[in-house]
Amino acid sequence: MKRFNFSKFMLIFGLMFIYLPMLILVIYSFNASKLVTVWGGWSIKWYVGLLDNTQLMGSVLRSLEIACYTAIAAVALGTLAAFVLTRVTRFKGRTLFGGLVTAPLVMPEVITGLSLLLLFVAMAQLIGWPQERGIVTIWIAHTTFCAAYVAVVVSARLRELDLSIEEAAMDLGAKPFKVFFLITIPMIAPSLAAGGMMSFALSLDDLVLASFVSGPGSTTLPMEVFSAVRLGVKPEINAVASLILLAVSLVTFLVWYFGRKAEANRKRAIQEAMDQTANESWQQPAAATA
Amino acid sequence: MKMFGRTLLTLSLMGAMVMGAQANDKVLRVYNWSDYIAPDTVKKFEDETGIRVTYDVFDSNETLEARLLAGKSGYDIVVPSNSFLAKQIKAGVYQTLDKSKLPNWKNLNPVLLKNASASDPDNAHAFPYMWGSIGIGFNPAKVKEVLGANAPTNSWDLLFKPENAEKLKACGISFLDSPTEMLPAALHYLGYPVNDKDKAHIAEAEALFMKIRPYVAYFHSSKYISDLANGNICVAVGYSGDVLQAKARAVESGNKVVIDYSIPKEGAGSFYDMVAIPRDAANVDNAYLFMDFLMRPDIIAEVTNSIGYSNANAAATPLVDEAIRNEPGSYPSQVVMATLYAVPDQPIATQRIMTRGWTRVKLGK
Amino acid sequence: MRTFNQQFLRLVPSGRKLVIGIPFIWLFLFFMLPFFLVMKISFSEAALSIPPYSEIYTFAEQKFQLLLDIGNYTLLGEDELYLSAYLGSLKVAALSTLMCLVIGFPMAYAITKTGKETQNVLLLLIMMPTWTAILIRVYAWMGILSNNGLLNGFLMWTGLTDHPIEILNTNTAVYIGVVYAYLPFMVLPLYANLVKHDNSLLEAAQDLGSSNFNNFWKITVPLAKNGIIAGCMLVFIPVVGEFVIPELLGGPETLMIGRVLWQEFFNNRDWPVASALAVVMLLILIVPILLFNRSQAKEMEARG
Repeated sequence: MKRFNFSKFMLIFGLMFIYLPMLILVIYSFNASKLVTVWGGWSIKWYVGLLDNTQLMGSVLRSLEIACYTAIAAVALGTLAAFVLTRVTRFKGRTLFGGLVTAPLVMPEVITGLSLLLLFVAMAQLIGWPQERGIVTIWIAHTTFCAAYVAVVVSARLRELDLSIEEAAMDLGAKPFKVFFLITIPMIAPSLAAGGMMSFALSLDDLVLASFVSGPGSTTLPMEVFSAVRLGVKPEINAVASLILLAVSLVTFLVWYFGRKAEANRKRAIQEAMDQTANESWQQPAAATA
Repeated sequence: MKMFGRTLLTLSLMGAMVMGAQANDKVLRVYNWSDYIAPDTVKKFEDETGIRVTYDVFDSNETLEARLLAGKSGYDIVVPSNSFLAKQIKAGVYQTLDKSKLPNWKNLNPVLLKNASASDPDNAHAFPYMWGSIGIGFNPAKVKEVLGANAPTNSWDLLFKPENAEKLKACGISFLDSPTEMLPAALHYLGYPVNDKDKAHIAEAEALFMKIRPYVAYFHSSKYISDLANGNICVAVGYSGDVLQAKARAVESGNKVVIDYSIPKEGAGSFYDMVAIPRDAANVDNAYLFMDFLMRPDIIAEVTNSIGYSNANAAATPLVDEAIRNEPGSYPSQVVMATLYAVPDQPIATQRIMTRGWTRVKLGK
Repeated sequence: MRTFNQQFLRLVPSGRKLVIGIPFIWLFLFFMLPFFLVMKISFSEAALSIPPYSEIYTFAEQKFQLLLDIGNYTLLGEDELYLSAYLGSLKVAALSTLMCLVIGFPMAYAITKTGKETQNVLLLLIMMPTWTAILIRVYAWMGILSNNGLLNGFLMWTGLTDHPIEILNTNTAVYIGVVYAYLPFMVLPLYANLVKHDNSLLEAAQDLGSSNFNNFWKITVPLAKNGIIAGCMLVFIPVVGEFVIPELLGGPETLMIGRVLWQEFFNNRDWPVASALAVVMLLILIVPILLFNRSQAKEMEARG
């Protein structure tokens, strides 16, 4: 009954399609030749060179900083939005709210970027803020569209949750906010973490929004890479890219490892508990007969 | 309730901190082209003056212009090319320079100042930092292989004559992706003034490109540097400094590719990257200090030695590396200088026609 | 005790307002308001000033005048460039969505057929690339597809061709890049949907003698409808406005609206026309966006 399995073949093909280019990129980051298409032997000089490239390293740090702020703010904002979507059932403008929350997910970046820039320009004219565009404006732009992702992820989890625990706590006289922080939040923690990581990644990834709303001293890594790529491929970019790939795969591995460990622990705990009760119930009759 | 208040407070505090970190008297924000300065120029300035410099780079005039026209760009020094500068001056982007604050102005090359004044009457708003011509970069061996020894590499005929372009297709042709620089070259070749506003003439220039369009590999304003050096293409219309950079890269990689640069005898466009101070700059005094610093012969000669572009500083020429100084593409003779024209600034309506025509050329229909 | 309760009750609505208010105000301020601005500017005229457009209203001598310039919209209609850019974007988006579906569906299906542990690993493997910058992944393709890149080297080595095939800077490269970048967004919602399917239906059908292929079309596909719609829209909608991929991998003949918009904004410094382009793009995308929202809502209902 063993025969050619089309879907399995596609899975392997798809994964190869996804990973082969990255593998090639990593190999070429060790290329000694300055011309990226010619193989000139193995070398780590581009990695060493990176350390001296303050401009590039500066943009890496800046991007990480923005991504951190974005992840925090997007999780806070997105969770609030998700909470409103799932728990506050009736209020004026609920449909509009629902639309507003999901729309940034699919809005083409050029439109969001252009419109935010126009907003900041208009605000600077009207109320004098923001005095200048920079990290703060990029942060606002990233938070807005990342919050949408968080809201979708978290509201899916909130819908799955058993309402009865929250209701029971309320019945016992706990204030809604206390319930939210002591009961709801811990229960949705995994999706908060997922949303936070997603926001972090999306913020690190974004070129278009940052290009529109950035200002002095706020060139992000993608902007740096884009302009380097436009001005001709440089071997240093291969090295940066490989480092990013390494960091991401490390994080992915850790997430998987700890997730698995937590799962295993949970299973073991359940197993132990079951064994114990089984033991007890087995011993009891044994004791009784003795 | 309290929790939310606290969250909000922290958030706003975070914002204030980020903004507050930038407020400081001894700062200067510079926005220059990428790879367009010597590695230690900024550091030297910081050491001499104690001013902390935020140095950002852009890769196209358009990027810079969008920032400037949005208002409150936040930069104190910007470096647009002359044709863009002209429009931006009209839009009221720049301050008029107080030349008494620029004692080193005397070092600038008067011929180049005059050329640049086509975009900025009396050089009232900016001074030329680097300049170059828009000529032909080519791979002599490959061109010879295709067209024979008598290939007109010193003339626009090399590309604008379809029979030549057709043969060169085999080894690859690239053009700059810039209607404001390429169409005037065609207008000039056809014998019309470079700032011609006549629609029919512009259409004729467009038709000239259309005829050779099938033979063009791509239109791009920077990719040709590595492609020339790699041997991917054999003829590129490009900026003098970039072509010479390609030449150096080819030598460095040891791949036996030789690159040459020629200013066509019919005449070619020239561009001037101009240093200017935006009207809304916050640190004007520091900006003047930096401008004057850049006019110092020793400083600007170092920049030229590092990036290969020719500066507009007459006093600096003796300090420039001999290899660059004696390169006719970088430091052309008086005779060749006389054939150069500054890339013209066209009214918006004409520019729109040109951009649109250029899009048609690129699409090939 | 009673007064405390009353105080508490009085507090509740304000807390509720706050919970609704914070995200609402944020989204209104930074998402909806900017949109109205884009709309406003699309009715103004380009000008050489800071900012580079004219104000659409004037207030002088106690007269408030509103001037709506529809010239930008008529320009979009008159010049076939814009129409072909919209059509080009829609074509690229539609075709690459289809390709993502054809590759992604079997992948998602195959994942659901593996063990629970393997499923998690495979999902992570598919999600991981989306956490690295898209720019870097597109950049990797630039090196592979170029004339003296690896793919051409490989093809020439195998003797399939004796001269390099031009792939980089053509539409083919754009399709490769788009499918590559968006494939995970197709696989994930499909998996989320497929994994919930009850296998007993399929088994029952098999018992009744239905072929695998038949099962697939008659049972799996209809059941996965919401997942398919969600996945397709997650690919289709952003691709219509895609800028980075066509800019880096596409050639001069790659006409896509994201690129044209960028060009109008940056190269022609014509913010009003760029705004008009954005407004029209959004009008085109409203139907797919609504479709996506509906499928999301249905998916949630099915889950909850």
